[in-house]
Amino acid sequence: MLQSDRGLILALVLALFSTAAFAADLAVEDARLRLLPGDLPGAGYFRISNEGSESRVLTGVETAAFERVMMHESLEEDGMMRMRHMMKVELEPGAQVEFAPRGYHLMFMKRTRDLSVGDKVEATLKFADGQRLPVVFQVVSPTAR
Amino acid sequence: MRYTLLLLATLLVAGCSDPSWEAKDISGLMKPLEFNLVDENGQEVEGSDFRGKVTVVFFGFTHCPDICPTTLARFSRIVDAIEPEQRDDLRVLFVSVDPARDDPQTLREYTDAFGPEFVGLTGDREALDELTRRYRVTYGYGDKNEAGDYDVSHSSALFAFRRDGGAQLLIRDSDPTEAVIADIRRLLAAG
Repeated sequence: MLQSDRGLILALVLALFSTAAFAADLAVEDARLRLLPGDLPGAGYFRISNEGSESRVLTGVETAAFERVMMHESLEEDGMMRMRHMMKVELEPGAQVEFAPRGYHLMFMKRTRDLSVGDKVEATLKFADGQRLPVVFQVVSPTAR
Repeated sequence: MRYTLLLLATLLVAGCSDPSWEAKDISGLMKPLEFNLVDENGQEVEGSDFRGKVTVVFFGFTHCPDICPTTLARFSRIVDAIEPEQRDDLRVLFVSVDPARDDPQTLREYTDAFGPEFVGLTGDREALDELTRRYRVTYGYGDKNEAGDYDVSHSSALFAFRRDGGAQLLIRDSDPTEAVIADIRRLLAAG
């Protein structure tokens, strides 16, 4: 099989999984961006698995659709809710980490274009070793889980 | 005779604290619903304006991407579980403790995303402090980053009030959704 055929088949397979991304032992699934009205910041949620044998460190996310993306953790302390800014998230070999409501989440701030429920937002996950992983976030409504 | 005494004793104990609420029963522990705030139409409103309706009060801010929408989305599902003809008797009050960013229009757009039963309210610091002190919750502002954004810490508690304005329940994230639906139905059933 020619290299170009293999590449084409891989691209076709990847295209079938529009909210999943795979690269060098990292798998991302169920990526969704929960939109709020106006220009309010939206939350990004997803599941990331490190299927490799080495530790990976997620250091950030960027997208052309928003000016800024931050990684946060929602915390409850003494009945009070607050957010902690995370500079990095470690992914041990074999670990699966959830960015989910009331826990880790991305904060997408200041959109650069109009967005609607049903849109797809292309983003890039960045890692300490320089790897960049493209992920497509499905835009979901404010009442989505 | 002994059985009669036992029955009487059981009834007396049952009357003291009603065991059939799912969320935490706070009746007699918290004051009736009272406040002086501004609603999402810019109108001044008082707690007494909501007498006759079952009211759930929640504190947050619209620039909160995770907790507040998650809680409101959960309540949106709770409202959907209520019979349609009863929904107009229920109000979920989203009290923003971030008046610097949450003006009436922002609040209206925000609560409209969750349903007509959701009402956004805010006020100046004095009015907010009075209300949060009344229900023994607090809020605070984080440092601004270079873009002027800041976090707002706030209580995770929701308070449910009867139609007569009396405080009945403290609802927490840990209370199962089905349990909260049962409690809301019970509050609505009471005249």
